[in-house]
This record gives sequence, structure tokens and C-alpha cells, in this order.
Amino acid sequence: MNIQEYISSGIIESYVLGLASPEERTEFEQNCSNYPDLVEARNNFELALEEQAGKNAITPPSNVREKIWSAIRQIPASNTPKIITMEPTSRRRSSRLGWVAAASIILFLAAGYLAYTFYNRNKELKDSNKDLEEKVDKMAKEQEITHDPNNTVVNLIGLKGSPSSANIYWDSTSANVYMIVKNMPQLPTNKQYQLWALIDNKPVDLGLFDAPKDNKVILKMKNTQKADAFAITIENRGNTGGPHLGDLQSLGKAKL
Amino acid sequence: MARSYLRQYSKFAIFVPFINYLNPYTKYTEQELVSLLLIQNDQAFSYLYDNYSPALFGVICQIVSDKEIASDVLQDVFINIWRKISSYDKTKGRLFTWMLNIARNAAIDKVRSRPYQDSLKNQPLTENVNSTVSNTVVDPKINDVGLRRSVNKLKEEYRQLIELSYFQGFTHEEISKILNLPLGTVKTRIRSALMQLRTMI
Repeated sequence: MNIQEYISSGIIESYVLGLASPEERTEFEQNCSNYPDLVEARNNFELALEEQAGKNAITPPSNVREKIWSAIRQIPASNTPKIITMEPTSRRRSSRLGWVAAASIILFLAAGYLAYTFYNRNKELKDSNKDLEEKVDKMAKEQEITHDPNNTVVNLIGLKGSPSSANIYWDSTSANVYMIVKNMPQLPTNKQYQLWALIDNKPVDLGLFDAPKDNKVILKMKNTQKADAFAITIENRGNTGGPHLGDLQSLGKAKL
Repeated sequence: MARSYLRQYSKFAIFVPFINYLNPYTKYTEQELVSLLLIQNDQAFSYLYDNYSPALFGVICQIVSDKEIASDVLQDVFINIWRKISSYDKTKGRLFTWMLNIARNAAIDKVRSRPYQDSLKNQPLTENVNSTVSNTVVDPKINDVGLRRSVNKLKEEYRQLIELSYFQGFTHEEISKILNLPLGTVKTRIRSALMQLRTMI
């Protein structure tokens, strides 16, 4: 085969520009591995083409770059093996030392990272454990109160469309009064709720309280030995006078 | 300096991407660039985009006249480069040639796609490949850029062949049918056209 003739037959341009047929391509690639002149001529044309394209470059709109990156971020990392080119080296000793150095740096970083994650995880566990303890305490107390056979349960039901409702657990022998709030809307800061016991139609103060942040909170109220009914009103913060019965929120009769 | 150090302690080649990250003004050889792209190194890909996107955009704009659609094509081209870099074979040609052909094929695919054809309202769409011959009159906006400028200097017979094969992506067989020429003649004429084109680039 006359390689010079082949080179000047237009096959190089045809191949590089992607116009050659599959058979021509195979033949060309085969010839490339046998004739360095052919490879050089191909390379020259490729460089000329690259230079020509460079001269006719057009700057693309600036947003394209961002769009490409965000599209690529959504492509899962490829499974192709990661190829790292390593050249032969004659510096064996220093390279071995280098390995040791690299290994210790990696170990050090790994240890630091592990210590940091363990510390964080431990802290997280402690926090959630504390949360759990508080919840269990609360539930145990609730359980104790609600299951005490001496306790009378009084349901306070919301009046006049008020959603306020609560359960009173009242032990008439020990006079202890507990209240479990089921639903008490938050009030303006100058107002408070107040629990009253009605004894012979007279209101007796059992304590002021704020709407708890979460429901089912147990509040210990003032003791009373007697009560015909319980009522909740809205009063000014720190109220010392009688109840504003017009602001009566919830009422429940003690079944005695 | 860091790189020459690494060349001595070449087993640290694994740190090259990291070192390069510290130095954004790095220039890569084509081989380094390919190696880094294979491990999907962001820095190398940014470098690739910065250095080659204008040339490739120029190539795309020779085929797709609408700049907005051409930008979409450019986007697809770079996503494909990122995905398919492992199929690049340096024994078959330079990296730029590989990317150039991806860009050219993507642009031709776009021009042939139905939505694009539909958008050319004034040109009735038919399934018949032969009708495309009439379209070899090229949008004047893209008629005088890049390779096209050289192609336009060829004699009409050659210009038409390069237009159909290179810019519109028809195979030799299709061209032989379109122009009603024997396949052998199409092949020889394209080769001759390319040889002339070669002296103009």
C-alpha cells in the first residue's frame, strides 16, 4: 500500500469529520496502528480543525454553565472504575516513606472524624434520653393520679363555644386537686386562667394558671375539702378579687 | 511547584485533583484532562467548559441558527461529554475532535427533530427525505461562519455534497438517492471536495 497516496486520498478528512463509513473507519484505524505518518497527518488535520473552530468561537450565554452543572449533579456517580495514572518511579525509599506519611495522615483524619461523630451521636442520645425520662415521669404521674381510687374525676366542659376543657382529679380525703389540661387556648399576656371551686354557690379560688404550651400537662392546684362544682374563668393576671363569671370558660359538677 | 513535586512522588497522583483545586489557574495537558474527567473531577470539567465551550458553540451555531436552541444543544453536549468520557479513545483522535463530533451530531439531531421542524413554520414538513434537498439553501445568518465560509468557496457541486453530508448528516447512500448519483460517484466527489476544503482551512 502506498501510504502517501492513502494520506492524500481525502480519507483523513473524511474520518476526522465523521463522514467515513464504518468499513472505512475500521480500515483507517488499522492503518493508523501501522503507519506513524498517517497518525501524524491525521493529527495535523485535527489541529487545523481545532484552530479553525477556535477562530470561529462564539461565547455561549452565561446561564448555560449553571444549567449544565445542575443537570450533572442529578446524574448518579458512574460505576466506571476510577482510573488513576501512576508513572513508574525509581525513588523507592522516599516513596515508601511517603506512603507511611500518607497513611498516618489518613488515619489521623479518620480518627478525628470518628471522634467527632461519636461525640455528636453521644450528645444526641443523651438529649433524647433526657426527653424520654421527662416524658416517662410525666406519664407516671398522670397514671398515678388518674388511677388513684380516691380521686373523683370532674370533666370541665367548654361553655359558650369556648374550646377550653380540662379534667379535675380531686381527692376529697387528702383535699389534693390536680388538673389535666386538655385544651386551653393561649391568652394575651395580661390575662390568666383561674380555677374556682363552687362551695354553697360561693366561688373559692383554687389558683391562677397560664395556658400550658403542650396539652395534657398536669397542674397541682390549691387544695379544697369541699366542692360542689369546678369552674374556669379568664381573669387579669394576678387576680385577687372574685371571678368574672361573665368570662366563665368551663364548668363541671363534682359528683358527690 | 506542587505538581512537579507530585511528579517525583508519583504515587501521590491521587492527590492531583486536590492540589489542582487549590490552584484554579492550572493548565492541563489533554491527557491530564482526560484522566481527571474519568474520575469526574469538577475542576477539570469546569476547565473543559471554559476552554472549549465557545469553539463548540460556534460549531453548533453553524447548524442550528436559533441561539437559544443552540444553547440547549450545547448543554446536552456537555452532559454527554461528562457521561461518555470513558468511551473516548485517544488512539482514535484528539479530545477536541471527539467533542466536535458529539456537538455536530447533537446539532443535526436537534435540527431533524420534529419539534424543531414544526417550528420552521414556513417550511412544510414531509416524511420524504428528498424534500430536504430544497432546504440546502442555508439560513443566511449561519451561512458565513466558521467551516461554512470555507465550504461556500467550493464549487457548487462540492458545496452541496459537504452541506448534505457534514452539516445535515446524510449518509453517502442517502445522498446518492437524493441527488440521483451512483454511490461510487458520491464517495469520490466527497473525497475530492474534502481535499479541496483541506487546502482552505
